This record gives sequence, structure tokens and C-alpha cells, in this order.
Amino acid sequence: MRIAWRGAELRLLLPILLLVPLGFLVTNVAVTGTFEPGPMQLAAVYVGLFVVAHLVLVLSGHRGDQLLLPAVGAMGGIGIVMLNRLPQDLAGTSALGFELGMAATQVLWFGVGLVAMLVVAIGLRDDGILRHYKYSWAAIGILLLAATMLVGYEVNGARLWIDLGPVSVQPGELIKITLVVFLAAYLAETRTLLTSARVRIGFISIPPLPYFLPMLALFGVVMLIAVRLNDLGTALLFFGTFLVMLFVATGRRSYVLIGLLLFVAGSFVAYELFGHVQARINVWLDPFADPLGAGFQPVRALYALGRGGIFGEGLGQGLVTLGGNLTIPFVHTDFIFTAIAEELGLLGGLALLAFAAVLVFRGLRIAALARDDFSALLAVGLTASLGLQTLIIIAGNTKLVPLTGITLPFVSYGGSSVLASFLMIGLLLSISHRTQIGTDAERGE
Amino acid sequence: MIATNVRRLGFYLILAFALVSGSMVWWQVIEAPALASRSDNPEVIAARRSLPRGTIFDASGQVLASSSLVGDLSVRSYADPAFTHVIGYSSLRFGSTGLERAYEDLLVGRADPNPIRDLLNDVLARTPQPRDLTLTIDRRLQDFAAAELGTDPGAVVAIDPTTGAILALVSTPTFDATPISGDPDAAQEPMDALRADPAQPLLPRARQGTYVPGSIMKVFTGVAALDAGAITPETTFSDQPAQETQGFPVQGFTIREHDLGGIQPALWPLSEALQVSSNIFFAHVGLELGGDQFLAYARRFGFCDPMAIGPDDRALSVAASYVTNPVEGDCTPFDDDVELASASFGQGEVVVTPVQMALLAAAVAGDGVMPDPYVVRDVRAHSDTGTPSDTVLDRFASGGGTRVVSQGAARAMRAAMVDAVNGELGRLYAGQGDITLYGISGSVSAGKTGTAQLGGEQAPHSWFIGFAPAQEGAAPSIAVAVLVESGGSGSGRAAPIAGRVMAEYLRMTGGN
Repeated sequence: MRIAWRGAELRLLLPILLLVPLGFLVTNVAVTGTFEPGPMQLAAVYVGLFVVAHLVLVLSGHRGDQLLLPAVGAMGGIGIVMLNRLPQDLAGTSALGFELGMAATQVLWFGVGLVAMLVVAIGLRDDGILRHYKYSWAAIGILLLAATMLVGYEVNGARLWIDLGPVSVQPGELIKITLVVFLAAYLAETRTLLTSARVRIGFISIPPLPYFLPMLALFGVVMLIAVRLNDLGTALLFFGTFLVMLFVATGRRSYVLIGLLLFVAGSFVAYELFGHVQARINVWLDPFADPLGAGFQPVRALYALGRGGIFGEGLGQGLVTLGGNLTIPFVHTDFIFTAIAEELGLLGGLALLAFAAVLVFRGLRIAALARDDFSALLAVGLTASLGLQTLIIIAGNTKLVPLTGITLPFVSYGGSSVLASFLMIGLLLSISHRTQIGTDAERGE
Repeated sequence: MIATNVRRLGFYLILAFALVSGSMVWWQVIEAPALASRSDNPEVIAARRSLPRGTIFDASGQVLASSSLVGDLSVRSYADPAFTHVIGYSSLRFGSTGLERAYEDLLVGRADPNPIRDLLNDVLARTPQPRDLTLTIDRRLQDFAAAELGTDPGAVVAIDPTTGAILALVSTPTFDATPISGDPDAAQEPMDALRADPAQPLLPRARQGTYVPGSIMKVFTGVAALDAGAITPETTFSDQPAQETQGFPVQGFTIREHDLGGIQPALWPLSEALQVSSNIFFAHVGLELGGDQFLAYARRFGFCDPMAIGPDDRALSVAASYVTNPVEGDCTPFDDDVELASASFGQGEVVVTPVQMALLAAAVAGDGVMPDPYVVRDVRAHSDTGTPSDTVLDRFASGGGTRVVSQGAARAMRAAMVDAVNGELGRLYAGQGDITLYGISGSVSAGKTGTAQLGGEQAPHSWFIGFAPAQEGAAPSIAVAVLVESGGSGSGRAAPIAGRVMAEYLRMTGGN
């Protein structure tokens, strides 16, 4: 295997990774008033992980996209600086005889995630295993969800977690991937039929049902379980990803429109039927109606955004705790973006959004260049999932949409989320690599 | 084909990113200033915990509220419990009330009265500078009025009828706000005791207490009817003398006169009717005016809606007063003429705040213009020395007032109110409101007593509203409303308090 120099990736990684130790230094001194070496070692480990990942890609002759890893490093960098700055007892692990604080645990998960990414990016030589076993992937996803429903436990009213001894995992995060694989494989096979053989009912044309129903049935089961688990954010993300993939496969805006109408109708029914949905919508519409009760979290988040203003209060200068309590509960997961926008301001928030945009548009580029429908649709699905998740949670923080408890990829604290996001990057890298190899082969290299 | 769709998808995603960016701009740039001044903003709470807080001075420059650092906590102390229901408290545990709440952002220096400087401070991230407040109230008059009420539950509201400046705003019983404003852990116990106290010391009665007004309401009925042309000062009602003893049948219900104490009924015009406080006369006046007009005038005088002392964005809140059905919360039409006739002499469904009644007196004193009340005179740079800084940053003056009745109507009512205190018949009822009794010579006061019947065994509320100086050609400088809960007759308890408070003010200002 030939070495493939990845110059762009290295040049982009370096400044980003230099800023992470600087961020640790600044927050460290600002929060504690003294310099402590411990967190700096953590910053070094974070930087080291990305450098090693880069070198492994180089040594393995990987020809995949060179902007994905720097974008991930930047998002994760902003996230880890902020997680290191928050109180470390918010989360953590005591596995393997170590007592790790929140930031250290997150770095550990970044290590696990990068390894998983490399295994997929380099190891997945052939996409047959994904494409040919599509129903198996769907089944695995449904089984994981069913398992969550049976043996999972609740955190904050949503049953998302399975306890595996030393670690707890959120199967929902991994199901995103199996679901996208299934949809990509299914749509790649049937997209011609779905596009050409339309069924007209009056003015509306709907997809031909025999080809459409199996997918709809499987997808419907997943949605039902997600709603049953009270995981509205994940359900919304699944549905959005599905619509995006359907649109790209068929090119029909009308399908998306019908989907959106169904979504609105479904939301309305849910609003009328379920108390918790109603409560959440009401809090969204007017959080200031009950600023010390139901609206506490969103109101506190809006105050934090306001405090940040354009330039931010400065790293380490935000009002994270007040009299020993967090000013925003769940700041490290649901509201990590708000904490970042408070300390780094609108400019910092926009920078984070820009890194996410780089990720998304590189993902779309990989899809557009892909050499077969399956790869293209897979890339679209993975990209849409990452992009929509980012947009939904940030928009939830800024009260543009109702708040849902999903993570901000690579930024929020949480091992399952980090691992799943890295697996998706690994898949994107592998698609991009195969595209490049194929193109080279055509050129006769 | 797929590549084309991906490009179209890219376009939609750009829109989504732009939309989310826009929502960030909305909160972080456009709404940020509004968020920053809300009192439940953790930044404001944090500032309250640790930053110095502006001093509050009385009109003569005496310190009423000041802060000091104990450890890393900014602890508030209050000099005079008589001001608690004006200033409120700034507690690290219970939040803030009163002026402490209304002026929170200025006191902790989160905002600057000058919008340009405010923006500059924000951009340059300057350390907040606390601001001091000066009130329109002189501590001497406030303490004097509080001492007059003593331990009785009640209220004294005094106001300058020309400017709307509040001169005294006393609610009793009161409490010392210092213990609940200090160490948050030690604040719970005194607060629990205050909450459990059956005398309700936490209630700012002058602003938030609503009471049956009784006969002081006749001032409103009379001046409204004069303005509407329903009566003149000479109008009499021919059935009235007989009805004083036999009762006035209205829609099957008989309205009866209160005990006239030996005064022989006669055909009384406005002045005499006000002097003896004839319910029968004012029932006729109210029916003459009509329910719709009665309600329209009530709205003009500020009834039916919550009121405010000070500019809307920095207001001390005042509960709404009602002339009909207070439970429904809006001045719904009178059910029948019985209710209208009863309201005309201050019974029926009428409930009022002492502040509303002081403004009624001020409107008569001010020739028909009801002033906009305010209690903070200016905002100054912070001073640690115990005397106010000379740097005045913002001055709150009266926003003028609202003409509620014509000058003629107000003058006619004023003459009747002068008689009600000083006239031959009036002296029997309201003579204790005469300021000459308290050492003021050459000036007279005008006023009206109220003895608000509550039904059952409860002693009536004792009321007086009035103003001084009120002799021909003088411009009144103080208008008052005095309420003593279940204090008995208006003449026995409220009238002498009002007379002494007005006399004290004229002495203080050298205006006797």
C-alpha cells in the first residue's frame, strides 16, 4: 500500500489543534486563577489523537476527503475546551480503575471514536456488506430500539439508555446509522421505479405503493418506537433524514411536501393527545410565562445568549454557576451551544456553525461525486443526519424550534453520540476514498 | 440525476443555516439589551450578590437604603421601616420588590440612563457602575405620617397636586427589610414570620390594599355630575328632605340615610349635602348622572385598570380600583339603579386603593387636572459618603397630568370641600381635618370624611381625603388620602391624621 500525503488535512489541522491547548490554558487560568498542568495534558492527548489519526490515514494510503477531519477537530476542539471549563463533576466515569472527570471522559470517547472511524474508513473496502444485508441492518436497528424499550432506563422522561455495566449507551445514536444504510440500499434499488411509475390521485401523484410500502412500514415502526420512548428529537431527526434521502433519490419536491404535511398533522394530533408534547410546545411558544418552572431552562439559555452578545463574555468568563448551581441545567449536553455562544459570542457561535457547514457541504460533495447510487444516497443520508442534528439542536437553543434533547455532534458531552458521529465520518471517508480510487483507475493510473 | 438533487438539497440547507444564524443574531444582538435588564436574569442576580448596589436617598439627602460587602456578599440595609413599602427589599433569597425591583438594572449598574453611554459600556465591557436614587419623599413627613398611624393598619398617601410628586406613601403595619436582605441562609426565618403574621405586614396597603371607600366617594360622584352638567352647585332634589327620614325607594329597595346625629333634614344643595354627607342627596346625583356616565368618569379618573406610580417601565404598581363588580375585574355595567345609587355614596360594589383616592383629591385640588404620580426624583452617580453625589444623570419629572373634569367643576367641588371641613354643619363631621387646629393660621384645608360600612360586626374603615391650602386664591400644595382599617368614623380617626399631616407639610415647607 502506497503512502498518500494528505497536505491539506495537515495544514488545516495544525492551527485548529494549536488553538485547543490555548483554549485550555485560557479557561484554566480564567476559572481557577492558577495554572494547573492536568488539563494541559488532556489538551495534548486531544491534539495527539487527531495527529495520530491523520498519520494512520497517510500511512494507509487513504485518498478520502481531507476537510472532514479538520472540521471535526475544530468542532470537537471548541466542545472539549468548553467541557473542560464546565464543572467536571457534571459527568464522568470511574471505569477501569480510573476516576475520570467529564472532559477526560469525553477525550477518551474521542479516542474510541477515532479508532472506530479509522477502522471503517480504511477497513471497509467494499460496500457489499452494507448494501446486500439492508434488511438485516434495519432489523438490527429495530432490535436495538426494542431492547431500549424493554431494558432501557429513563433520564428526564425519555427512555434512551441501556446500562452495560461500566458504560451506558444510547442505542438511538447507532440506529441512525443502520437506518440510513437501510434507506440508502432500498432507495438505490427502487429509485427508478419510485420516480417513473407514479400513481396519480387527482392532482397529487404519490409513489407506487408496492415499492414504497415495505420501506414505509419499516420506517414507521422505527418512528413509532422512537415516539413511544418519548425521544421526540430523535424521531424528528429520523424523519428529516428520511425526507432528505427520499428527495435526493426521486427529485420530487411533492414527496417532501406531502411528508411535511403529514408531519404537521402528526404533530397536531400529538399536541392534542399527549400532555408532555403539549407542555413542550407551550414552553416553546412562551417560555417567559413560567420562567421559574417549566420555562426555566429555555429562559436561562436565552439570557446566556443575550449575555454573550456579539463578542462574548470571554472564555472562562461566562456565568456558568450561580450560588453553586448551574445557571442552565444540562448545559453540557442539550445546551452546550448556548454555553459556547455565551463565552465566545455570536462570532464564536457562527464559527461553530460554519465548521458544521463545512462538514455538511463536504458530505454533499462526496455524495455528488460518488460513483454509484448507493454510495451517493448513503453519503447524503449520513450528511443529512449530522447536519440536521446540528441545526435542530442549535435552533432549539435559540427558540427557533421547540427544544428536543438531542446532542450537538462532536460538541455535546456523550460517548454514544461521539462514537456514532465518528462512525458516520468513517463511512463518508470510505465512500470518498472509493470514489477517488475509481476516478484514478479510469484515468489509467 | 442524483448529483443535481444533491445540489438542490445544498441550496435548501444553505437557507436552513442562514435561518439558524438569523435566530442567533436575534437573541445575541437585537434582544440582548432587553434580556439584560430582566430581574430574573442570572447576571442581574449575580450582580446583586456581589456588586455594590446604589444608595437610595430621601428628598433631603438622607440615606434610606445602602449596601456593604460582607465577605463576598453584597448586603443591603435599610434605615427606616416607614419606607419599606416604597423601596421594597432586595433579597438574595426572595428576589426584589418595590423600587428595588423597578430600578434593579440602574441600581446594580447594568444600565445607564443615557442610551449612548449604555451602548458604549456594553461594547467596551466596562464594569457596571451602580447608580443612586433620590426620592420625592422627605423622610420627616413619611415618619410623621407613620407615627400618626401608629400600630393601626392603614395608609397615608400625600401628593403634590401640581407636579404629581409623592410626598408620603405610608402603609402600616410595616417591617424591617434588613434581615431578609442579608445572608440568604438567615433570611428564611424572618420571612416565614412575616408571612405567618395575621396583620399582613407584607401588604403595601397604600398601593395594593383595596377598600370600600364610603362617603369620600361622594367627591367623585359630585365632581363628575358637575362636569357632566347633571347638577349645578345650586341643584336640589325636592323629595330629599322627606327621604332623609323615610328612605329613598329605588327599584323596590329603600336607601336609608345614616345617623344624622340630630341635624334637621332640609332641602340641601351640594355644599350642605357634602357637609352632612347626605347619602340620599348623592344617590339622586348618581341616578341623575346615569350608570354609563358614572362608569365613563370612573375610567377617566383611573378606575378599572391597575395604576402605576412612576414611568411605565419603572413603575411602583398600584392595584386597580373598581366601581362595579371587582370580582370580574373590569368595570362591567351596573346591574341596576340600586347598585348605581349605592356606588354614588361609596358603598355597593365600589373598592378603591388609597393612592386612587389621593389622586381624586389631587384632581380637585389641581383644578380638574389629575397629575401623573412619581416617587423617584432623580438618578445620580454613586456616592459612598452618605450624601448624594452632585452628578445628576437623569431627572424624572411629572409627565404632566390628565384633565379629568373642567376647572369650573373642580372649583365648585373645592368650595364644597372647604365647607365640609370648615362650614357650620361640616365641622361636626370633618372639622378634625381643619389644619388651623394644628397651628397653621391663615390657611384652610378642604376635605371629606368617609366611614365605610363593612356589614356584620366589623368596625367601619375610617377615611379622609383632602388638600391644603384651599382658601380662595391659594394653590394647594398637598393632597392626601388617609385610611385606617376598621378605625371607626372618618371624623374620629382619619380626619385628624390628615389634618396634622397637611399642617406638618405646610410647616416644613414654610407655606403656612
